[in-house]
Amino acid sequence: MENTIVKISNLVKRYGDLIALDHLDLDIKEGEIFGLLGPNGSGKTTTINCLLSLLSFDKGSIEIFGKEMTPVSYDIKKQIGVIMQNVAVFDQLTVYENIDYFCGLYVSDKQKRKALVDEAVEFAKLGDFLKFYPKKLSGGLLRRLNIACGIAHKPKLIILDEPTVAVDPQSRNKILEGIKQLNSSGATVIYTSHYMEEVEQLCTRIAILDNGKKIAEGTKDELKRMIKNTETIRIEILGLEETHLKEILALPHVYNCNYDGSVLTVSCSGGKHNLIRILGVLQEHDIAFGRVYSELPTLNDVFLEITGKVLRDKGNEE
Amino acid sequence: MFFHDLKYFIKCGLRSQDLMFWLILFPIALGGFFKVAFGDLYSQITDTSPIPVAVVSEKENQIFSSALESVSGSDDSFLDVTFTDRDTAAGLLKDGKVTGVISSGDKVSLTVAENGLEQTMLKEFVERFRLNEKVISDAASSDPTKIQQAVSALSSEISPVKNVKAINGNSDVFVQYFYNLIAMTALYGTMLGLKICVENQADLSPLGARKCCSPVPKIKGLSAALCGCFILQTLCMVICVTYLVFILKIDLGNRLALVYLASIAGGITGVAMGFFVSSIGSISERMKSGITLGVVMFLCFLSGLMVGNMKGVIAEKAPWFNKINPAAVISDCIYCLNFYSDYRRFITKMLTLAAMTLIFSALGIFMTRRKKYASL
Repeated sequence: MENTIVKISNLVKRYGDLIALDHLDLDIKEGEIFGLLGPNGSGKTTTINCLLSLLSFDKGSIEIFGKEMTPVSYDIKKQIGVIMQNVAVFDQLTVYENIDYFCGLYVSDKQKRKALVDEAVEFAKLGDFLKFYPKKLSGGLLRRLNIACGIAHKPKLIILDEPTVAVDPQSRNKILEGIKQLNSSGATVIYTSHYMEEVEQLCTRIAILDNGKKIAEGTKDELKRMIKNTETIRIEILGLEETHLKEILALPHVYNCNYDGSVLTVSCSGGKHNLIRILGVLQEHDIAFGRVYSELPTLNDVFLEITGKVLRDKGNEE
Repeated sequence: MFFHDLKYFIKCGLRSQDLMFWLILFPIALGGFFKVAFGDLYSQITDTSPIPVAVVSEKENQIFSSALESVSGSDDSFLDVTFTDRDTAAGLLKDGKVTGVISSGDKVSLTVAENGLEQTMLKEFVERFRLNEKVISDAASSDPTKIQQAVSALSSEISPVKNVKAINGNSDVFVQYFYNLIAMTALYGTMLGLKICVENQADLSPLGARKCCSPVPKIKGLSAALCGCFILQTLCMVICVTYLVFILKIDLGNRLALVYLASIAGGITGVAMGFFVSSIGSISERMKSGITLGVVMFLCFLSGLMVGNMKGVIAEKAPWFNKINPAAVISDCIYCLNFYSDYRRFITKMLTLAAMTLIFSALGIFMTRRKKYASL
């Protein structure tokens, strides 16, 4: 049986009247890449800050590696690597010095540290920029430096809080590949993001947070099974009439049908051969059609359906 | 871990352009500005050569003759006296060969051709003589042997500059600006103190958050940072004093080693004060920086950095404040070295600085050591 690395039980965090975390429970197993997904203000970063004992909380408990996490749990902290949302490096130190400094907070042996720093440099592909100061680095390189500083000491648990914000696609891919590499070398990863495709590509298990509550948890497939939509069919078509739409909507497993004058979109829930049945209706009425697409639900569909299909930003709302 | 932290803290500090500007370049620039602004006055007031004066003796005045004798006749005397007649004296004055003409008779009077520092000092001398003439005269009539004693008392009053020169120090009002400049530089150490807070508190910066996640006990991190600040500020103070003394040639007296010591102690107090002030409250780094700098400038203003006699005004209205104002204590500390021949006051001021450093550091650590934050 897999070991539980992080156990969060009944966690409650309030900011005055606002409940940031509402009785949150999480179990993160060894070797997982665990995704914390949620809209802005859903409580992802608050969860991470509580986990790291930076934030006080009102109720609940947090255990890491089977021990209670407190601000003075130095033995636990030694095994954690943190990559915060905001880049946290010294502008006055070079790339190499920054990695060496942060690694030195965890590893005091100089020789061992040098080897670790060299590995981190190699991992983040920063070898050509060792003597650069952070201000001279591009956004992507800066993010990679931020990650290198957080993982140089080879932690067993790596916490990444939206590490790819404002990063170009190439750098983002490099970062995601790096995270997979870290995971395959034995590290458990907690990854927060609101980029669905990243989480879908990366995470083995995902929890969706909304308003401080965990509203869903499971693997990608488990989450996709939680929503009504299992298939979306799009057909380029002209001259469709209301009666045809009613006929399609009456087909088994079809629960929604939209026509905008050029594309028919049909949402199906479960069942097989949905596309064949829809095309059968069109052929029956001798209706010509163009390109046909059949899409399985993405994590984005899951996220939008579960969290309410509305983009939210707490800061703007309040 | 401690030395690792310390090494990188010092590296960061030395490479921080902002810090180096405020801690080294700005005081150097301001010192240069003071020197240019006060240079002429400074050279006049520190000019120790006697003031040339013509004396026209219209009638024998034994008391005045004795007074003149006591303030002239040697290289470090107050006056360089030329006895002559009225016409020659007028010519000398017109040609600028003497600063003034003193006529002695029943009444002592002074004639000067223009206004200036030396003329003011001559005027002061004559006025003080007039004020004391009756006292000396009475003393002479009751006991002629006391005349010299009374005249000596008068001569010791006539020029604070000359009196101070007797202990080889320099306490003129313009040097006070440089004392205050040293105090200001010392208190700019508050910026280093602020750096400690920012880099060690999770609610002030991402760096603080990252450090709080590390397995380094906070007290260890804070101690390394404080030591780093003390070293950096010591370096800045040494550069500042060296620049004033050896480049600008400001006379800070002949107890230079103690001037360095006082400046370094002041700098360390400045760091501790900054650490304490910036550890109060949970506001943004920018706000803390503004408040810290505001406090420093206010304390420097009250110690006379901007207005020369401000410290005197405070001494009159609220004397206790000068005893706890770090800027005033630092400048007083250096002033004491030049003004008093003993070390009692200097030691008192140094102990005050040490106490302030300890209190500020302890309170700063107490407030920064908090383990968890209510919000980030």
